[in-house]
Amino acid sequence: MSPLKIWITIAGMTAITVLTRSGFLLLPERFSLPPIISRALRYAPACALVAIIVPDVMSGQIPGAGFLHNARLLGALAGAATFYRTRSMLATIAVGMLALTLARFALG
Amino acid sequence: MNPIHPTPRSEYLHGIKMVAPSMIATGAWGMVTGVAMLKSALTLTQALGMTAFVYAGSAQLAVVPLIAASAPIWVILLSATVINLRFVIYAAALAPHFRGVSTLKKLGLGYLSGDISFVIFMQRVHAEPERAYAQQFLLGCTSVSWLVWQLGSLVGIILASQIPDRWGLDFAGTLALLALVIPIIRDRAAAAGVAVTAVVAIIGAQWPLRLGVIAAAAAGIATSMLVESYVRHAARKVTP
Repeated sequence: MSPLKIWITIAGMTAITVLTRSGFLLLPERFSLPPIISRALRYAPACALVAIIVPDVMSGQIPGAGFLHNARLLGALAGAATFYRTRSMLATIAVGMLALTLARFALG
Repeated sequence: MNPIHPTPRSEYLHGIKMVAPSMIATGAWGMVTGVAMLKSALTLTQALGMTAFVYAGSAQLAVVPLIAASAPIWVILLSATVINLRFVIYAAALAPHFRGVSTLKKLGLGYLSGDISFVIFMQRVHAEPERAYAQQFLLGCTSVSWLVWQLGSLVGIILASQIPDRWGLDFAGTLALLALVIPIIRDRAAAAGVAVTAVVAIIGAQWPLRLGVIAAAAAGIATSMLVESYVRHAARKVTP
């Protein structure tokens, strides 16, 4: 991306932070969210994050190789298992990175 | 809880005290975001600018691969918006506690309120709904979070320029997102939505303009809502 486009992206994201975090506070005080909107909002962040994570993990797939022949996938699985056990982001990152490194070494 | 008579200063300090235990994670997360920004897509100045202005870690981490893949700006901004939509729910919960506060203060406090500050603030208002100076308490939480996050990002950005690309440190950002998403998959409806999202994301990985990301999130949200409606109707039939 060109530097100009990146700066436009940064400006746009700044506006998004302000709008999503403060926008509701600035509305008239009696305003409340319609139920269907608040239901959609509840599920949106998890889906959006997974929509980003999955292609990023699958980008480690070597064409023609087996499904598990993917260091990023093995790293992510190790990270997820660690999070389930420890509930710690730091441990997740540490174990995931270690698994990625070992898997890269093992898979060549 | 906090026995002394509340003053603006005591509540500000109490906010700092309550948020302090989370600051190791916040600093580390800032660092990971700093590394990921510099390692995959942005120059030093751009990474510093994004950290200073955008101040939304999960959205920053999420757009990095999109910027690296040269996705169109609207796709990047739409993705960031969907990830930030949780803040709209937070703000709706914060709003009753900020009646009569000036618009400028609302803007500032809202902008600074990330996930951790929100959670800690809501614990306080649930435990002691009548306690005065809630805004000062929130400011205590958010000011420390802001500082620690910025310092962490700065360290990450500086470190990243010293670390070779082949270490694959950008993957730490993906792992941080993973740790963020697992706890918010709380029920069957959310799990079903996420499963559909994953399938569509894999199918759509090669679609032009990275449209697979938008399609996957939309399909997942629709699935979650359908499953939730279905579960609610089923429950109504069993218990009339």
